[in-house]
Amino acid sequence: MIRWFYGSGGEGKRVLALLSCLLLWGCGERTEDVRDEVVSFSQTSRIRGLDPAVSGEVSSSMAISKIYEGLLQYDYLARPYEVIPLLAEAMPTVSEDGLVYTFRLRRGIYFQDDACFEGGKGRELTAEDFVYSIKRVADVKNSSSGFWAFNNRIVGLNEFHDRSKEPAATDYDAEVAGLRALDRYMLRIELTEPYPQLLYILTMHYSYAVPREAVEWYGRQFVNHPVGTGPYRLVKWRRNSRIEFERNPKWAETGRVELYPTEARGNEVDPKLLEDGGKQLPFIDRIVQYVIDDSTTSWMMFLSGQLGVSAISRDNWDAVITPDKALTDELGEKEIKLVSSPTLNLFYMGFNWDDPVLGEGATEAQRLQNRKLRQALSCAFDFEQLNAFMNQRLHPIGGPIPQPLTGSLSEASPYSFNLEQAEALLAEAGYPGGIDPATGRRLEITIELGSASGNARQMMELMADMFRKINVVLKPSFNTWPAFIEKMNRRQAQLFQLGWVADYPDAENFLQLFYSKNESPGPNHSNYRNEAFDRLYEQIRTMPISDERTALVEEMAAIIVEDCPWIFLYQPMQFGLVQQWVKNYVPHAFPYGMGKYRGVDVRERAKWVGENGSGGLDMGGAF
Amino acid sequence: MSGRVRESKGLWADAWLRLKQDRLAMVCLGLVVLFTILGLYGEAVHQYHAWNDLTPHYQQTDLASAYQAPSWGHWMGTDGLGRDVMARLVQGVRIAFKVGIITSLIAIPIGVMLGCLAGFFGGRVDDFIVWFYSTVASMPGLLFILAIAMVVPDRGLLGVYLGIGLTTWVGLCRLVRAEVMKHKEQPYVQAARALGIGPGRIMFKHILPNIFHIVIVTFTLRFPAAVGTEVIMSYLGIGVQDEPSWGIMIDAARMRLWQGMWWEMTFVTVALFLLVLAFNLLGDALRDALDPRLSE
Repeated sequence: MIRWFYGSGGEGKRVLALLSCLLLWGCGERTEDVRDEVVSFSQTSRIRGLDPAVSGEVSSSMAISKIYEGLLQYDYLARPYEVIPLLAEAMPTVSEDGLVYTFRLRRGIYFQDDACFEGGKGRELTAEDFVYSIKRVADVKNSSSGFWAFNNRIVGLNEFHDRSKEPAATDYDAEVAGLRALDRYMLRIELTEPYPQLLYILTMHYSYAVPREAVEWYGRQFVNHPVGTGPYRLVKWRRNSRIEFERNPKWAETGRVELYPTEARGNEVDPKLLEDGGKQLPFIDRIVQYVIDDSTTSWMMFLSGQLGVSAISRDNWDAVITPDKALTDELGEKEIKLVSSPTLNLFYMGFNWDDPVLGEGATEAQRLQNRKLRQALSCAFDFEQLNAFMNQRLHPIGGPIPQPLTGSLSEASPYSFNLEQAEALLAEAGYPGGIDPATGRRLEITIELGSASGNARQMMELMADMFRKINVVLKPSFNTWPAFIEKMNRRQAQLFQLGWVADYPDAENFLQLFYSKNESPGPNHSNYRNEAFDRLYEQIRTMPISDERTALVEEMAAIIVEDCPWIFLYQPMQFGLVQQWVKNYVPHAFPYGMGKYRGVDVRERAKWVGENGSGGLDMGGAF
Repeated sequence: MSGRVRESKGLWADAWLRLKQDRLAMVCLGLVVLFTILGLYGEAVHQYHAWNDLTPHYQQTDLASAYQAPSWGHWMGTDGLGRDVMARLVQGVRIAFKVGIITSLIAIPIGVMLGCLAGFFGGRVDDFIVWFYSTVASMPGLLFILAIAMVVPDRGLLGVYLGIGLTTWVGLCRLVRAEVMKHKEQPYVQAARALGIGPGRIMFKHILPNIFHIVIVTFTLRFPAAVGTEVIMSYLGIGVQDEPSWGIMIDAARMRLWQGMWWEMTFVTVALFLLVLAFNLLGDALRDALDPRLSE
């Protein structure tokens, strides 16, 4: 349920608007020879905290995953996305009924040195650390943004969750039957029902190993004092301005071996990406990241060589990319590379099922009319217009499941752009010519937005004009992010715009957005209710991946398309520019913890800055 | 003894004569009149569309003609959604005038009322009002305005009106208070008192007309300030929402500026510059004309 939002606001991560997705590219690198180190300078958005159990938004997750690690991780190069062991010695053994997962941990994994440990020396990681860390996510007092991942999944964990609601300090020694350390290196997880997505969940930072000593030592300050096993440790963090990591010396001290992958399964990659195969990670000694809010500033910094990777904002687009989606000659000559990849994100306009006009409707006749109205509005949405406005950076989507997940619709939805159909449906819905019989004027719909940025505003003006063509007035209401969330949770929106970023590469992650028990304040912000759909959802949730399951998923997608609780807007493409000195750069839909694979060619970079840089902009030595 | 008595002129006619001699002021007055006509025209266009339930042309997008440089078809070019910049600029004048006038209608009565009360009654009333406006004045202006605009439900012009209107009356209040204190001791007020006229009538019937030039001058000077604040608020995204305010236009134009798409930014800033300059110069000239003592 990672919901990813515009900027870094919000209690989760909900994509709201368009350019924000490009912040994921914020692993841009810029290097400089300082004390003979390989230093990378890059961009990040605002980081809220570094506690794996609590923090939620993309920028925090990116920082956390540099310091902490989990049992499993995504393979950097393999496609489709594949889960491989990280702190686990191998993939878990799973019982016949799919309920019991047994992990064997790697030996000789140590936490970084920290004052919280005895003698200041980091101790070895044990299975007990994972038991403790997952309990922390379930502890109400931590108000974790990640409890959804384990909710009703692990035997006894919900009882622990309920007990932690009491005012007394939570007892972490209390047994959770489904979460046990069998010995120092064996972890046993017992589920309440089969949950094949558990493996994906265990790659997320909510499942990362946190040492109990650190939590107890730092108390409320733990969020500022991360203590992990990962490739980097925190040096200094200045909120909303700058964060610095350095190579975790514990790896060299304890002789930990972590190697760059030697193959890219199912993925044809540039052979250059495999050149470092089998080499010890990480490649970069020091990572310095700045919060740069203004896209023009970061663009200028990229051009002058201060950032190695840059997003391409909408306004830079035509200066950078030619109409056939290649780089302009000027940038091409400078050997800047263009990288693009589809994202597992979906943007939509949701109707509130409680709304008398656009929602479910009280009577059978009303239901039919309302559905026709939703379908009409869906037909009025002109994807090509929006795509032109967004410089052709979008991928059309006709159903609730983005490509390339199984179950995504192969053909266009019957309610994609068609003005005649829209007008016909509108008349059938009881609004001939768009005129609302109740007022005698054009039908007026209010859309709630969680951002008032120029881009969001212009996009709404464009949308309003699409609806104007069928004589429906779209009134935008711009909110601050918290006010927007408040309206959603109180079910006050009539229509709203949101996005969803996949937590894991499975259709279930998107279908849950229509499950009636997930209604607001859960992720089903449309408050969509449909018994047939609910039954199917409950069925597929526990099924292992199979053709039978895919058939059910397709059936569910068809129900959603017909019922139109959302207008499916688009699936964004990710485009980024990478300087030639950045090595091993591959876009990944789940980029957490991938920094360790990246490298930088310090000499190349110095040359570039010498030729293109301007000393005045250099932030390398600032602060 | 001359038999002819020079025809006596009222304050206003006298001021007009003085103003007419100031050429720069007359040019500014012309500009203000021009802007007013544009604003009225914009309002008429807006009302016409609202009345007939139509979407005005300056809100209709056409991506095929986006970012066109100024031409005979579009004198000021088109913006990123293919809309005519000039039509939107005129709507911007409408918004600017609305903001200037409505915020004045909020701020000036507050300032005049409190200033009169404080100046006339003195004592505790004065202490309280001085304390009150000092408190208001001690808050950083823009932050205070933003705070008010944020708490108004449904962002938009209402928040702008209230935000600016409720925070910008202090200067006027101070002026009026001082002026009323001065007038209170004058013989005509003493005479009115001796006749047993009530304080309300003295304040508003006798004193106020004599200090009304202050209100006029304040209006002309605060008008451009209010417009500027509105533009800043809209630029920051907490002002006008779905109408073409100048702030929104500048925000939209700034991203493409470095690619040489200069027209939207240029024409809007020139318009804003002219409006602010014209009102400020006119305000100064009016002050000189209405209160000749100042210029001596």
